Amino acid sequence: MLNYFLKGEVGTRLRFMGMLLSAMLVLLSVFTLTQKGLNFGLDFTGGYLTEFTTSQSVELKELQSFIAKNHNGEFELTAQGNSHFQLREAPSASTTANSLDWQSAVTQNDDINAQVLSSAYIGSQVGDELFDQGCLAMFAAMIAVMIYLAVRFEWRLALGSVVALVHDLILVLGLFSLLQIEFNLTVLASLLAIIGYSLNDSIIVGDRVRELLRVKSNNVLSSATIINNAIKSTLTRTLITSGTTLATVASVWLLAGAPLQGFAIALFTGIVVGTFSSICIAATLPELLGLSAKNYEVKVDAHTQTLLDMP
Amino acid sequence: MLSFKKDKKPSTAKFKLSYIAMLIVLVLLAISALPNLYPNKSWLHISAAPHSEMQSLPSTKTLVTFLNNQGLEVKQGLDKQSTINVLLNEPTKSAQAQAAIKAQYPNTQVKIVEHATSPTWLQDFGLSPIKLGLDLNGGVLFVLDVDLDKAVDEQLVSAYLQAKSIIIKQKAHGVKAQQTQHGFEINALPNATDKLTPVIEELQSRFANLAVVTSNNGSVKTAKFSYSEQGRSSFDKEVMGQTLTTLRSRIEELGITEAVTQRQGKHRIRIELPGVQDPTEAKRIIGATASLGFYQLKEIGGQTFNMQSGGTIKLDPVPIFTGDHINNATIGRDDWGKPLVQLSLDGQGGNAMSAFSKANIGKPMATVYSEYSQNAKGEVVKKSEVINVANIAQHLSSRFSITNMKSQQAAADLALLLRAGSLTAPVTIVHEQTIGPSLGSENISNGLAALMLGMGITLAFMALWYRRLGLIANVALILNLTSLVGLMSLLPGVVLTLPGIAGLVLTIGMAVDTNVIIFERIKEERRQGRAPYQAIQEGYKQAANTIFDANITTMITALILYGIGYGPVKGFAITLALGLLTSVFTGVYVSKILSQTLYLKMGKKAGVKVHA
Repeated sequence: MLNYFLKGEVGTRLRFMGMLLSAMLVLLSVFTLTQKGLNFGLDFTGGYLTEFTTSQSVELKELQSFIAKNHNGEFELTAQGNSHFQLREAPSASTTANSLDWQSAVTQNDDINAQVLSSAYIGSQVGDELFDQGCLAMFAAMIAVMIYLAVRFEWRLALGSVVALVHDLILVLGLFSLLQIEFNLTVLASLLAIIGYSLNDSIIVGDRVRELLRVKSNNVLSSATIINNAIKSTLTRTLITSGTTLATVASVWLLAGAPLQGFAIALFTGIVVGTFSSICIAATLPELLGLSAKNYEVKVDAHTQTLLDMP
Repeated sequence: MLSFKKDKKPSTAKFKLSYIAMLIVLVLLAISALPNLYPNKSWLHISAAPHSEMQSLPSTKTLVTFLNNQGLEVKQGLDKQSTINVLLNEPTKSAQAQAAIKAQYPNTQVKIVEHATSPTWLQDFGLSPIKLGLDLNGGVLFVLDVDLDKAVDEQLVSAYLQAKSIIIKQKAHGVKAQQTQHGFEINALPNATDKLTPVIEELQSRFANLAVVTSNNGSVKTAKFSYSEQGRSSFDKEVMGQTLTTLRSRIEELGITEAVTQRQGKHRIRIELPGVQDPTEAKRIIGATASLGFYQLKEIGGQTFNMQSGGTIKLDPVPIFTGDHINNATIGRDDWGKPLVQLSLDGQGGNAMSAFSKANIGKPMATVYSEYSQNAKGEVVKKSEVINVANIAQHLSSRFSITNMKSQQAAADLALLLRAGSLTAPVTIVHEQTIGPSLGSENISNGLAALMLGMGITLAFMALWYRRLGLIANVALILNLTSLVGLMSLLPGVVLTLPGIAGLVLTIGMAVDTNVIIFERIKEERRQGRAPYQAIQEGYKQAANTIFDANITTMITALILYGIGYGPVKGFAITLALGLLTSVFTGVYVSKILSQTLYLKMGKKAGVKVHA
């Protein structure tokens, strides 16, 4: 198999290298996912989250020790900016004693003079339910999409697209695990959007492969060449669309502020790896599985054949 | 809705008809999008509380000076006979002003009402801006858990107690009720089996949702009572409906007109209170418990009660019986077709009613609805209101009707209140979120900035890369955004959230895909030596299938997301799905007509060569 690829055209060789790279990245992602896990946000764990600003910039460490004095439970303080902070508490923290104490302390202290922007409480039961629902949605989306692909395409092309899709999701999850970026409900929504977009690219390449395979005069060409041609003729489109989408996602990342940060990061990565996988996996895997023009020939049974052969 | 028709010959008649249809759709959507240029403003409506005298309303001038002194600068104050309407310089502070006025003038009712600022002709069409989600508007969100299991348990216990009293009343010796793990059972000894059936029938007439399984255990006949799956689900539905209605009427008291109260999933209720900053008052009102009592009227002495319809009435302070003795209340019609409410009471209530009605035929009886809630100081406060006064026509027992209702609606409302007084499922808050108004407006401006930048980059790129065709794509893109905003304003129930804005930005980036696929195809056709017009025709035709395939998978995921998501995530799913529809519409149909017109008409006139 190795020989088959190395002997081929430049395009085939590149695709093969890309696939190897993808396989390595998937292994790496699975490794970090099993080792570090995901940093689940409030939506899934439940608990209290308070977001507040201070009148002047405060050092995170100073604020941390100040709140620790006025808080008798465990909490997690993160800085969103110089004067913008988030404080997270476990759902078991009692409502009255713990949370009110520190809040009045930071709002009444003249040096800090905090102003609470938003506060949220999510019961741990709700968090579990949201997580279950999210997983259910992912599986439902994958199955619905697989059924659609199986009906629309030949099974080899369909399988290629699905493998590419799973690859994209694993890589995005791997990145979130590696950098320990908060995984919340909007990130989950972006994963579902990635399912849609990742397939978009794969389908467009697949569509072209199918079209070229159906052309009679292409019968002499090897399937590797046909796939290379299909990729070449769709490459401009793939790059332009991914480019404009990436530009818009990047502008969300830059300007839309903290609430959409995770969402934008997930989509950005998803689109980059999705474009990559549509070429290196979605189009390459069917070739390994033996896709050829024969799969698209009109099937003629013996009886019709004899009728056709009649003078 | 979308179909890809192949028209081989561009017949002018057909061409013109589709042209006009498209133009109409675009214009309609653009007009629907217009009100978004005029954002709503929150006004304060101040009126006298229902049971107080008109004099309790301060004059407009005093009110304005009061607010200005509180640091809440008034922009406009209008005197509208019975109400005063006030617009603040910073409308986001309306909630603060509402609290301040309530504290200063306790006998007033203050409501925050959204006023449209768009021209009247737009309002006459019933057009309004897109509704904003809590993350953009600021406000309080509650998700409540309704303890349905507990409600069922209580209902079963009540049925069990009534079974016991029915047995005593029917003098069914040898029949015995007994509680079990999943409900209760009635056992009849061999010599009393014939007495079992009337007991079961009586019980079933009171509790329609209960299922009975009878069996012979040796010589003892046993009837097991429990909730069947069907009975349980209809019971759950009833309890949820009651809880929702009770909550809605309580939230109305808060004076928030834009509040959203809806069922979320099987046993949750989602309450969104836009504009509210302090959740404590809302929490107090939501957590209140209701009760119901039937009272005798007193002409001399007695306690004064407020009537719901206005005015006061004097009643005996001791109730004849209370709401926990009501089993069920349903609406019906009397022999003359007038609406009425049928009540069924338990044994104790029935006895009290029987004794009272026998001695008071022809006299009126009042129904009082009371709510217990905690006030700001944490004290329990009772608030009572007379909801109905009816004459006793005859000697009544455990089943009777309240007749002479004004309308079907009035009967339905009363039945609901009666049931609400009899059966309340415990409610707990499982999710609470407060979003400050400054955060909300910051989210809007951030989202819009991202939209502008994303749109700018896309427009610039398309214009540079595709030149003339790029201009068509850009026109299509702008029309796409307009149509999407118009569609979102037009459809009821569509709410714009921060992730929704992200979806909007994303749609812009992806929408060019349709045009890129087509343009690349046209270029290819040109390379194969087709004439410009034909190349365009072929390009659109060939690309249609690919575009359909590519968009349908995203549509599937968007629909699934819409199905399971709540709040902000649902907002994202809606924009994504609607964005796909509008981008196929503008990208395929509108830009096809645009490019045909541009190349066909202009090409003919000037004889220019086309470089696609």
